[in-house]
Amino acid sequence: MNPSERAPSYSGENGSNAEDTALIRRIVDADETALGALYDRWVRSLYSLVLHLLKDPDEAEDVVEETFWQAWRKADSYEPSKGAVSTWLLTIGRRKALDRLRARKRNREDPIQDERGFSDLRSTSPDPGSEAEGSELREHVRAALRELPEEQREVLELGYFSGLSQAEIAERTGQPLGTVKTRMRLAMQKLRAPLSIHRGAAQ
Amino acid sequence: MNAMTHEEAFSELAAVALDAASPEIANAVRTHAEACPECGPELASMEETIAALGTLVPSGQMNRGRSAGIRSRLLMRARAERELRSAPVPGPPDIARGVASLTGQGQRMTPGAQRPVTGETRTFTPPESQRVRTDARGSGRGVNWYAIAATIALVITGAQMLRMTSERNRLREQVAALDSVAPAQVSDSAAPMIAQRDSMIAAMTGPDVKVVPLMNQNAREPVGRMMWNRASNDWIMVTYNLRPPKPGMTYQVWLVTADAKISAGTFKPDAAGKTMMHARYALDRDALRSVAVTEEPEGGMPAPTGPMVIAGAA
Repeated sequence: MNPSERAPSYSGENGSNAEDTALIRRIVDADETALGALYDRWVRSLYSLVLHLLKDPDEAEDVVEETFWQAWRKADSYEPSKGAVSTWLLTIGRRKALDRLRARKRNREDPIQDERGFSDLRSTSPDPGSEAEGSELREHVRAALRELPEEQREVLELGYFSGLSQAEIAERTGQPLGTVKTRMRLAMQKLRAPLSIHRGAAQ
Repeated sequence: MNAMTHEEAFSELAAVALDAASPEIANAVRTHAEACPECGPELASMEETIAALGTLVPSGQMNRGRSAGIRSRLLMRARAERELRSAPVPGPPDIARGVASLTGQGQRMTPGAQRPVTGETRTFTPPESQRVRTDARGSGRGVNWYAIAATIALVITGAQMLRMTSERNRLREQVAALDSVAPAQVSDSAAPMIAQRDSMIAAMTGPDVKVVPLMNQNAREPVGRMMWNRASNDWIMVTYNLRPPKPGMTYQVWLVTADAKISAGTFKPDAAGKTMMHARYALDRDALRSVAVTEEPEGGMPAPTGPMVIAGAA
Protein backbone atom coordinates (compact mmCIF):
# COMPACT_ATOMS: atom_id res chain seq x y z
CA MET A 1 0.00 0.00 0.00
CA ASN A 2 1.18 3.46 -0.80
CA PRO A 3 1.78 5.19 2.51
CA SER A 4 0.03 8.26 1.21
CA GLU A 5 -3.18 6.23 1.10
CA ARG A 6 -3.06 5.67 4.82
CA ALA A 7 -6.24 6.95 6.37
CA PRO A 8 -5.98 9.70 8.94
CA SER A 9 -5.71 8.94 12.57
CA TYR A 10 -8.75 10.34 14.26
CA SER A 11 -6.97 12.24 16.92
CA GLY A 12 -7.31 15.87 16.06
CA GLU A 13 -10.42 16.57 18.02
CA ASN A 14 -9.20 15.48 21.38
CA GLY A 15 -5.48 15.95 21.28
CA SER A 16 -2.61 14.01 19.85
CA ASN A 17 -2.38 10.27 19.50
CA ALA A 18 0.95 10.47 21.25
CA GLU A 19 -0.86 11.60 24.39
CA ASP A 20 -3.35 8.77 24.04
CA THR A 21 -0.56 6.27 23.52
CA ALA A 22 1.17 7.51 26.65
CA LEU A 23 -2.07 6.97 28.56
CA ILE A 24 -2.33 3.43 27.24
CA ARG A 25 1.20 2.75 28.44
CA ARG A 26 0.25 3.96 31.90
CA ILE A 27 -2.87 1.80 31.84
CA VAL A 28 -0.73 -1.22 31.02
CA ASP A 29 1.23 -0.29 34.14
CA ALA A 30 -2.08 -0.40 36.06
CA ASP A 31 -2.37 3.34 36.59
CA GLU A 32 -6.10 3.89 36.92
CA THR A 33 -5.73 7.67 36.74
CA ALA A 34 -4.70 7.18 33.11
CA LEU A 35 -7.96 5.35 32.53
CA GLY A 36 -9.76 8.39 33.92
CA ALA A 37 -7.84 10.67 31.60
CA LEU A 38 -8.57 8.48 28.59
CA TYR A 39 -12.23 8.46 29.58
CA ASP A 40 -12.30 12.25 29.76
CA ARG A 41 -10.75 12.54 26.31
CA TRP A 42 -12.95 10.09 24.48
CA VAL A 43 -16.20 9.54 26.30
CA ARG A 44 -18.06 12.13 24.26
CA SER A 45 -17.04 10.74 20.87
CA LEU A 46 -17.64 7.18 21.95
CA TYR A 47 -20.99 7.91 23.51
CA SER A 48 -22.09 9.85 20.44
CA LEU A 49 -21.25 6.93 18.19
CA VAL A 50 -22.87 4.17 20.23
CA LEU A 51 -25.92 6.29 20.98
CA HIS A 52 -26.38 6.90 17.27
CA LEU A 53 -26.13 3.17 16.64
CA LEU A 54 -28.31 1.99 19.50
CA LYS A 55 -30.76 4.88 19.88
CA ASP A 56 -30.99 4.02 23.56
CA PRO A 57 -29.16 6.17 26.13
CA ASP A 58 -29.13 3.43 28.78
CA GLU A 59 -27.63 0.87 26.46
CA ALA A 60 -25.20 3.43 25.10
CA GLU A 61 -23.96 4.14 28.61
CA ASP A 62 -23.51 0.43 29.21
CA VAL A 63 -21.45 0.12 26.06
CA VAL A 64 -19.32 3.10 27.02
CA GLU A 65 -18.56 1.54 30.38
CA GLU A 66 -17.84 -1.88 28.85
CA THR A 67 -15.57 -0.29 26.26
CA PHE A 68 -13.42 1.58 28.75
CA TRP A 69 -13.32 -1.46 31.00
CA GLN A 70 -12.05 -3.51 28.07
CA ALA A 71 -9.51 -0.79 27.39
CA TRP A 72 -8.30 -1.22 30.96
CA ARG A 73 -8.19 -5.00 30.79
CA LYS A 74 -6.79 -5.31 27.27
CA ALA A 75 -4.58 -2.26 27.03
CA ASP A 76 -1.58 -4.47 26.37
CA SER A 77 -3.22 -5.69 23.17
CA TYR A 78 -3.21 -2.21 21.66
CA GLU A 79 -0.68 -1.99 18.85
CA PRO A 80 0.22 1.55 17.77
CA SER A 81 1.25 0.27 14.35
CA LYS A 82 -2.34 -0.72 13.65
CA GLY A 83 -3.87 2.66 14.22
CA ALA A 84 -4.64 5.42 16.65
CA VAL A 85 -5.87 4.78 20.16
CA SER A 86 -9.10 6.52 19.18
CA THR A 87 -9.58 4.05 16.33
CA TRP A 88 -9.02 1.19 18.73
CA LEU A 89 -11.50 2.56 21.26
CA LEU A 90 -14.18 3.47 18.75
CA THR A 91 -13.80 0.09 17.07
CA ILE A 92 -14.31 -1.71 20.37
CA GLY A 93 -17.32 0.44 21.16
CA ARG A 94 -18.88 0.04 17.74
CA ARG A 95 -18.46 -3.73 17.85
CA LYS A 96 -20.10 -3.91 21.23
CA ALA A 97 -22.96 -1.77 20.01
CA LEU A 98 -23.37 -3.92 16.91
CA ASP A 99 -23.40 -7.04 19.09
CA ARG A 100 -26.33 -5.54 20.95
CA LEU A 101 -28.09 -4.66 17.72
CA ARG A 102 -27.63 -8.23 16.54
CA ALA A 103 -28.97 -9.56 19.82
CA ARG A 104 -32.02 -7.36 19.42
CA LYS A 105 -32.45 -8.69 15.92
CA ARG A 106 -32.22 -12.27 17.17
CA ASN A 107 -34.87 -11.46 19.74
CA ARG A 108 -36.88 -9.65 17.10
CA GLU A 109 -36.94 -6.59 19.31
CA ASP A 110 -35.50 -4.25 16.76
CA PRO A 111 -36.04 -4.70 13.05
CA ILE A 112 -33.39 -3.08 10.91
CA GLN A 113 -33.84 0.63 11.12
CA ASP A 114 -33.08 2.37 7.90
CA GLU A 115 -32.86 5.76 9.55
CA ARG A 116 -29.44 4.82 10.90
CA GLY A 117 -27.89 5.85 7.62
CA PHE A 118 -25.36 8.34 6.46
CA SER A 119 -28.03 10.49 4.80
CA ASP A 120 -28.60 12.44 7.98
CA LEU A 121 -24.89 12.64 8.60
CA ARG A 122 -24.03 14.20 5.30
CA SER A 123 -25.74 17.39 6.32
CA THR A 124 -25.18 17.24 10.04
CA SER A 125 -24.06 20.50 11.54
CA PRO A 126 -20.58 20.46 12.93
CA ASP A 127 -20.23 19.96 16.62
CA PRO A 128 -19.81 23.49 17.97
CA GLY A 129 -17.61 22.26 20.77
CA SER A 130 -15.07 20.58 18.58
CA GLU A 131 -11.72 21.90 17.62
CA ALA A 132 -10.80 23.02 14.14
CA GLU A 133 -8.90 19.96 13.07
CA GLY A 134 -11.71 17.66 14.11
CA SER A 135 -14.16 19.73 12.12
CA GLU A 136 -11.85 19.61 9.14
CA LEU A 137 -11.67 15.85 9.34
CA ARG A 138 -15.43 15.70 9.46
CA GLU A 139 -15.68 17.81 6.34
CA HIS A 140 -13.32 15.49 4.51
CA VAL A 141 -15.35 12.48 5.55
CA ARG A 142 -18.60 14.17 4.64
CA ALA A 143 -17.28 15.21 1.23
CA ALA A 144 -16.07 11.67 0.58
CA LEU A 145 -19.47 10.28 1.43
CA ARG A 146 -21.18 12.69 -0.92
CA GLU A 147 -19.05 11.39 -3.76
CA LEU A 148 -19.97 7.76 -3.22
CA PRO A 149 -22.36 6.17 -5.72
CA GLU A 150 -25.69 5.44 -4.08
CA GLU A 151 -25.37 1.65 -4.31
CA GLN A 152 -21.96 1.71 -2.61
CA ARG A 153 -23.19 4.02 0.11
CA GLU A 154 -26.15 1.74 0.72
CA VAL A 155 -23.90 -1.27 1.28
CA LEU A 156 -21.66 0.76 3.57
CA GLU A 157 -24.61 2.02 5.59
CA LEU A 158 -26.07 -1.41 6.09
CA GLY A 159 -22.75 -2.73 7.30
CA TYR A 160 -21.87 0.27 9.43
CA PHE A 161 -25.12 1.00 11.19
CA SER A 162 -27.07 -2.24 11.20
CA GLY A 163 -24.47 -4.88 11.88
CA LEU A 164 -25.60 -6.91 8.89
CA SER A 165 -23.21 -9.46 7.46
CA GLN A 166 -22.34 -9.32 3.79
CA ALA A 167 -24.65 -12.27 3.15
CA GLU A 168 -27.49 -10.49 4.94
CA ILE A 169 -26.80 -7.33 2.97
CA ALA A 170 -26.91 -9.35 -0.23
CA GLU A 171 -30.23 -10.84 0.80
CA ARG A 172 -31.63 -7.48 1.81
CA THR A 173 -30.56 -5.64 -1.34
CA GLY A 174 -31.24 -8.53 -3.70
CA GLN A 175 -27.69 -8.35 -5.02
CA PRO A 176 -25.28 -11.27 -5.45
CA LEU A 177 -22.83 -11.69 -2.58
CA GLY A 178 -19.90 -11.00 -4.87
CA THR A 179 -21.44 -7.71 -5.90
CA VAL A 180 -21.90 -6.70 -2.30
CA LYS A 181 -18.28 -7.49 -1.53
CA THR A 182 -17.09 -5.50 -4.49
CA ARG A 183 -19.25 -2.50 -3.64
CA MET A 184 -18.11 -2.58 -0.05
CA ARG A 185 -14.46 -2.67 -1.03
CA LEU A 186 -14.86 0.10 -3.61
CA ALA A 187 -16.72 2.26 -1.13
CA MET A 188 -13.98 1.83 1.39
CA GLN A 189 -11.26 2.66 -1.10
CA LYS A 190 -13.08 5.75 -2.33
CA LEU A 191 -13.65 6.97 1.18
CA ARG A 192 -10.07 6.45 2.14
CA ALA A 193 -8.48 8.29 -0.73
CA PRO A 194 -9.87 11.76 0.05
CA LEU A 195 -9.27 11.22 3.72
CA SER A 196 -5.59 10.70 3.07
CA ILE A 197 -5.51 14.33 1.92
CA HIS A 198 -6.47 15.33 5.40
CA ARG A 199 -3.69 13.27 6.83
CA GLY A 200 -1.19 14.70 4.42
CA ALA A 201 -2.28 18.22 5.27
CA ALA A 202 -2.15 17.53 8.97
CA GLN A 203 1.44 16.31 8.84
CA MET B 1 -11.58 -22.66 8.75
CA ASN B 2 -8.54 -23.37 6.61
CA ALA B 3 -5.93 -20.70 6.01
CA MET B 4 -6.92 -18.17 3.40
CA THR B 5 -5.01 -17.36 0.27
CA HIS B 6 -3.86 -13.79 -0.11
CA GLU B 7 -6.53 -13.09 -2.72
CA GLU B 8 -9.29 -14.49 -0.54
CA ALA B 9 -8.18 -12.49 2.46
CA PHE B 10 -7.73 -9.31 0.46
CA SER B 11 -11.26 -9.54 -0.89
CA GLU B 12 -12.67 -9.75 2.64
CA LEU B 13 -10.72 -6.89 4.21
CA ALA B 14 -13.48 -4.31 3.85
CA ALA B 15 -16.04 -6.63 5.40
CA VAL B 16 -13.74 -7.40 8.31
CA ALA B 17 -13.04 -3.71 8.88
CA LEU B 18 -16.78 -3.07 8.88
CA ASP B 19 -17.38 -6.04 11.18
CA ALA B 20 -19.66 -7.43 8.49
CA ALA B 21 -17.82 -10.73 8.03
CA SER B 22 -18.62 -13.92 9.90
CA PRO B 23 -16.41 -14.61 12.94
CA GLU B 24 -14.75 -17.50 11.11
CA ILE B 25 -13.88 -15.39 8.11
CA ALA B 26 -12.80 -12.48 10.29
CA ASN B 27 -10.45 -14.71 12.26
CA ALA B 28 -8.95 -16.20 9.13
CA VAL B 29 -8.46 -12.77 7.57
CA ARG B 30 -6.86 -11.36 10.71
CA THR B 31 -4.55 -14.35 10.97
CA HIS B 32 -3.47 -13.82 7.39
CA ALA B 33 -3.15 -10.06 7.83
CA GLU B 34 -0.86 -10.49 10.82
CA ALA B 35 1.80 -11.91 8.53
CA CYS B 36 0.95 -10.26 5.23
CA PRO B 37 2.79 -7.01 4.47
CA GLU B 38 0.03 -5.92 2.14
CA CYS B 39 -3.14 -6.99 3.96
CA GLY B 40 -2.01 -5.93 7.44
CA PRO B 41 -1.59 -2.21 6.66
CA GLU B 42 -4.59 -2.30 4.33
CA LEU B 43 -6.83 -3.63 7.07
CA ALA B 44 -5.49 -1.10 9.58
CA SER B 45 -6.11 1.66 7.09
CA MET B 46 -9.67 0.53 6.47
CA GLU B 47 -10.35 0.34 10.18
CA GLU B 48 -9.14 3.90 10.57
CA THR B 49 -11.46 4.90 7.75
CA ILE B 50 -14.37 3.26 9.56
CA ALA B 51 -13.39 5.05 12.75
CA ALA B 52 -13.32 8.34 10.85
CA LEU B 53 -16.93 7.75 9.84
CA GLY B 54 -17.71 7.89 13.53
CA THR B 55 -16.82 11.57 13.50
CA LEU B 56 -19.98 12.29 11.55
CA VAL B 57 -22.45 11.17 14.14
CA PRO B 58 -24.29 13.97 15.88
CA SER B 59 -22.67 14.88 19.12
CA GLY B 60 -24.44 13.19 22.00
CA GLN B 61 -23.94 14.55 25.47
CA MET B 62 -24.25 12.04 28.24
CA ASN B 63 -25.90 13.23 31.41
CA ARG B 64 -23.05 14.66 33.47
CA GLY B 65 -24.02 12.90 36.64
CA ARG B 66 -24.28 9.54 34.94
CA SER B 67 -21.03 10.07 33.11
CA ALA B 68 -19.35 10.92 36.38
CA GLY B 69 -20.87 7.78 37.88
CA ILE B 70 -19.50 5.60 35.10
CA ARG B 71 -16.09 7.21 35.43
CA SER B 72 -16.08 6.71 39.15
CA ARG B 73 -17.10 3.06 38.86
CA LEU B 74 -14.44 2.40 36.25
CA LEU B 75 -11.71 3.87 38.40
CA MET B 76 -12.95 2.12 41.50
CA ARG B 77 -13.01 -1.25 39.77
CA ALA B 78 -9.67 -0.63 38.12
CA ARG B 79 -8.11 0.22 41.45
CA ALA B 80 -9.68 -2.81 43.09
CA GLU B 81 -8.45 -5.08 40.35
CA ARG B 82 -4.97 -3.61 40.39
CA GLU B 83 -4.70 -4.17 44.09
CA LEU B 84 -6.16 -7.64 43.86
CA ARG B 85 -3.64 -8.64 41.22
CA SER B 86 -0.64 -6.92 42.71
CA ALA B 87 -0.81 -7.61 46.42
CA PRO B 88 1.25 -10.60 47.50
CA VAL B 89 -0.37 -13.60 49.04
CA PRO B 90 0.68 -14.07 52.64
CA GLY B 91 0.86 -17.23 54.62
CA PRO B 92 2.35 -20.69 54.60
CA PRO B 93 2.35 -23.02 51.58
CA ASP B 94 -0.57 -25.02 52.90
CA ILE B 95 -2.69 -21.92 52.94
CA ALA B 96 -5.36 -23.66 50.90
CA ARG B 97 -6.21 -25.80 53.88
CA GLY B 98 -6.86 -22.72 55.90
CA VAL B 99 -9.08 -21.33 53.19
CA ALA B 100 -10.99 -24.55 52.96
CA SER B 101 -11.68 -24.32 56.64
CA LEU B 102 -13.57 -21.11 56.02
CA THR B 103 -16.26 -23.11 54.38
CA GLY B 104 -16.52 -25.42 57.30
CA GLN B 105 -14.55 -28.20 55.63
CA GLY B 106 -11.27 -27.73 57.46
CA GLN B 107 -10.11 -29.47 60.57
CA ARG B 108 -8.66 -26.50 62.36
CA MET B 109 -11.68 -24.37 62.79
CA THR B 110 -12.85 -24.31 66.34
CA PRO B 111 -16.10 -22.49 66.31
CA GLY B 112 -17.00 -20.95 69.56
CA ALA B 113 -20.69 -20.44 69.12
CA GLN B 114 -22.26 -22.47 66.38
CA ARG B 115 -25.80 -21.86 67.41
CA PRO B 116 -27.78 -20.96 64.31
CA VAL B 117 -29.08 -17.43 64.28
CA THR B 118 -31.97 -18.52 62.16
CA GLY B 119 -32.69 -21.61 60.17
CA GLU B 120 -30.64 -20.30 57.29
CA THR B 121 -27.65 -18.68 58.90
CA ARG B 122 -24.63 -19.90 60.79
CA THR B 123 -22.06 -17.90 62.66
CA PHE B 124 -18.71 -19.15 63.80
CA THR B 125 -16.92 -17.12 66.42
CA PRO B 126 -13.45 -18.34 67.27
CA PRO B 127 -11.84 -18.16 70.65
CA GLU B 128 -10.25 -14.82 71.47
CA SER B 129 -6.82 -16.41 71.42
CA GLN B 130 -7.13 -17.19 67.73
CA ARG B 131 -8.03 -13.71 66.61
CA VAL B 132 -5.25 -11.97 64.78
CA ARG B 133 -4.33 -8.54 63.65
CA THR B 134 -2.38 -7.84 60.51
CA ASP B 135 0.43 -5.40 60.69
CA ALA B 136 -0.25 -2.48 58.42
CA ARG B 137 3.48 -1.93 58.14
CA GLY B 138 3.96 -5.07 56.19
CA SER B 139 3.85 -8.08 58.41
CA GLY B 140 1.04 -9.49 56.26
CA ARG B 141 3.36 -12.24 55.15
CA GLY B 142 3.35 -13.51 58.68
CA VAL B 143 -0.38 -13.77 58.96
CA ASN B 144 -1.50 -16.96 60.62
CA TRP B 145 -3.86 -18.36 58.06
CA TYR B 146 -5.40 -20.91 60.36
CA ALA B 147 -6.19 -18.12 62.74
CA ILE B 148 -7.63 -16.10 59.90
CA ALA B 149 -9.69 -19.05 58.85
CA ALA B 150 -10.94 -19.48 62.34
CA THR B 151 -11.81 -15.86 62.76
CA ILE B 152 -13.75 -15.58 59.56
CA ALA B 153 -17.35 -16.36 60.25
CA LEU B 154 -19.73 -17.37 57.55
CA VAL B 155 -23.40 -16.64 57.44
CA ILE B 156 -25.09 -18.33 54.57
CA THR B 157 -27.57 -16.78 52.19
CA GLY B 158 -30.88 -15.14 52.45
CA ALA B 159 -31.02 -12.86 55.44
CA GLN B 160 -31.63 -9.19 54.95
CA MET B 161 -30.85 -6.38 57.31
CA LEU B 162 -34.38 -5.12 57.49
CA ARG B 163 -35.65 -8.59 57.94
CA MET B 164 -33.16 -9.08 60.72
CA THR B 165 -34.34 -5.95 62.46
CA SER B 166 -37.97 -6.87 62.27
CA GLU B 167 -37.20 -10.43 63.25
CA ARG B 168 -35.22 -9.16 66.21
CA ASN B 169 -38.14 -7.02 67.28
CA ARG B 170 -40.54 -9.90 66.84
CA LEU B 171 -38.33 -12.12 68.96
CA ARG B 172 -38.13 -9.46 71.64
CA GLU B 173 -41.90 -9.28 71.74
CA GLN B 174 -42.12 -13.06 71.92
CA VAL B 175 -39.61 -13.17 74.75
CA ALA B 176 -41.46 -10.48 76.63
CA ALA B 177 -44.69 -12.39 76.23
CA LEU B 178 -43.10 -15.67 77.22
CA ASP B 179 -41.43 -14.14 80.24
CA SER B 180 -44.80 -13.42 81.69
CA VAL B 181 -46.28 -16.86 81.17
CA ALA B 182 -43.60 -19.41 80.31
CA PRO B 183 -40.80 -21.09 82.15
CA ALA B 184 -37.39 -19.42 82.04
CA GLN B 185 -35.92 -22.04 79.72
CA VAL B 186 -38.07 -20.85 76.83
CA SER B 187 -36.76 -17.30 76.96
CA ASP B 188 -33.28 -18.69 77.53
CA SER B 189 -33.40 -20.33 74.12
CA ALA B 190 -34.58 -17.17 72.37
CA ALA B 191 -32.21 -14.76 74.07
CA PRO B 192 -29.07 -15.84 72.21
CA MET B 193 -30.87 -15.43 68.92
CA ILE B 194 -31.78 -11.88 69.84
CA ALA B 195 -28.25 -11.24 70.96
CA GLN B 196 -26.95 -12.46 67.61
CA ARG B 197 -29.35 -10.19 65.78
CA ASP B 198 -28.39 -7.24 67.93
CA SER B 199 -24.76 -7.99 67.32
CA MET B 200 -25.24 -8.07 63.55
CA ILE B 201 -27.23 -4.86 63.51
CA ALA B 202 -24.66 -3.14 65.71
CA ALA B 203 -21.94 -4.35 63.39
CA MET B 204 -23.60 -2.67 60.45
CA THR B 205 -24.23 0.68 62.06
CA GLY B 206 -22.27 3.29 63.90
CA PRO B 207 -19.54 5.79 63.15
CA ASP B 208 -16.82 3.20 62.73
CA VAL B 209 -18.55 1.35 59.93
CA LYS B 210 -16.94 1.67 56.55
CA VAL B 211 -19.13 0.71 53.61
CA VAL B 212 -17.54 -0.53 50.39
CA PRO B 213 -19.95 -0.72 47.45
CA LEU B 214 -19.27 -3.75 45.29
CA MET B 215 -19.82 -3.41 41.57
CA ASN B 216 -19.75 -5.68 38.60
CA GLN B 217 -19.10 -4.64 35.06
CA ASN B 218 -22.64 -4.16 33.88
CA ALA B 219 -24.56 -2.92 36.86
CA ARG B 220 -25.23 0.77 37.35
CA GLU B 221 -25.95 0.23 40.99
CA PRO B 222 -23.89 -1.79 43.45
CA VAL B 223 -24.74 -5.48 43.55
CA GLY B 224 -23.27 -5.84 46.98
CA ARG B 225 -21.77 -4.04 49.94
CA MET B 226 -19.12 -4.87 52.44
CA MET B 227 -19.67 -3.25 55.81
CA TRP B 228 -16.63 -3.20 58.04
CA ASN B 229 -17.06 -2.18 61.61
CA ARG B 230 -13.55 -1.06 62.46
CA ALA B 231 -14.32 -0.90 66.15
CA SER B 232 -15.64 -4.41 66.53
CA ASN B 233 -13.74 -6.01 63.59
CA ASP B 234 -17.00 -7.32 62.18
CA TRP B 235 -17.26 -7.70 58.44
CA ILE B 236 -20.64 -8.16 56.85
CA MET B 237 -21.04 -8.61 53.15
CA VAL B 238 -24.38 -8.61 51.41
CA THR B 239 -24.97 -9.27 47.74
CA TYR B 240 -28.05 -9.23 45.61
CA ASN B 241 -28.81 -10.14 42.00
CA LEU B 242 -25.60 -12.11 41.85
CA ARG B 243 -25.68 -14.94 39.35
CA PRO B 244 -24.74 -18.37 40.67
CA PRO B 245 -21.16 -19.54 40.09
CA LYS B 246 -20.54 -22.08 37.36
CA PRO B 247 -20.88 -25.77 38.30
CA GLY B 248 -17.93 -26.89 40.37
CA MET B 249 -17.03 -23.31 41.20
CA THR B 250 -17.64 -21.03 44.13
CA TYR B 251 -17.21 -17.37 44.94
CA GLN B 252 -14.33 -16.31 47.14
CA VAL B 253 -14.05 -13.01 48.97
CA TRP B 254 -10.71 -11.21 49.26
CA LEU B 255 -9.78 -8.39 51.58
CA VAL B 256 -6.98 -6.62 49.79
CA THR B 257 -4.38 -4.60 51.65
CA ALA B 258 -1.13 -3.17 50.37
CA ASP B 259 0.63 -6.29 51.59
CA ALA B 260 -1.83 -9.11 51.27
CA LYS B 261 -4.84 -10.64 49.64
CA ILE B 262 -6.69 -12.16 52.54
CA SER B 263 -9.30 -14.76 51.81
CA ALA B 264 -12.47 -14.00 53.70
CA GLY B 265 -14.21 -17.19 52.74
CA THR B 266 -16.26 -18.73 50.00
CA PHE B 267 -19.95 -18.50 49.35
CA LYS B 268 -22.71 -19.19 46.91
CA PRO B 269 -25.69 -16.89 46.59
CA ASP B 270 -29.18 -18.25 47.00
CA ALA B 271 -31.59 -18.67 44.12
CA ALA B 272 -32.43 -14.96 44.27
CA GLY B 273 -28.77 -14.01 44.06
CA LYS B 274 -28.64 -12.93 47.70
CA THR B 275 -25.87 -13.60 50.16
CA MET B 276 -24.93 -12.44 53.59
CA MET B 277 -21.55 -13.27 55.06
CA HIS B 278 -20.37 -12.32 58.50
CA ALA B 279 -16.70 -12.38 59.36
CA ARG B 280 -14.76 -11.25 62.39
CA TYR B 281 -11.24 -10.31 61.54
CA ALA B 282 -8.96 -7.64 62.93
CA LEU B 283 -7.38 -5.35 60.39
CA ASP B 284 -5.67 -2.04 60.87
CA ARG B 285 -8.29 0.60 60.26
CA ASP B 286 -6.40 2.15 57.34
CA ALA B 287 -5.14 -1.08 55.81
CA LEU B 288 -8.04 -2.05 53.59
CA ARG B 289 -7.52 -1.02 49.97
CA SER B 290 -10.31 -2.94 48.30
CA VAL B 291 -12.66 -5.87 48.49
CA ALA B 292 -13.03 -8.30 45.64
CA VAL B 293 -14.93 -11.45 44.85
CA THR B 294 -13.53 -13.94 42.36
CA GLU B 295 -14.90 -17.17 40.97
CA GLU B 296 -12.74 -20.08 42.08
CA PRO B 297 -12.88 -23.87 42.22
CA GLU B 298 -14.94 -25.39 45.01
CA GLY B 299 -13.19 -25.07 48.33
CA GLY B 300 -11.44 -21.85 47.43
CA MET B 301 -7.90 -21.05 46.41
CA PRO B 302 -4.93 -19.70 48.32
CA ALA B 303 -4.71 -16.76 45.94
CA PRO B 304 -7.10 -15.31 43.39
CA THR B 305 -6.97 -17.22 40.12
CA GLY B 306 -10.38 -16.74 38.57
CA PRO B 307 -12.23 -13.82 37.06
CA MET B 308 -13.22 -10.95 39.30
CA VAL B 309 -16.99 -10.97 39.70
CA ILE B 310 -17.53 -7.90 41.85
CA ALA B 311 -15.17 -5.51 43.56
CA GLY B 312 -14.98 -2.19 45.26
CA ALA B 313 -12.26 0.17 46.40
CA ALA B 314 -12.22 1.12 50.05
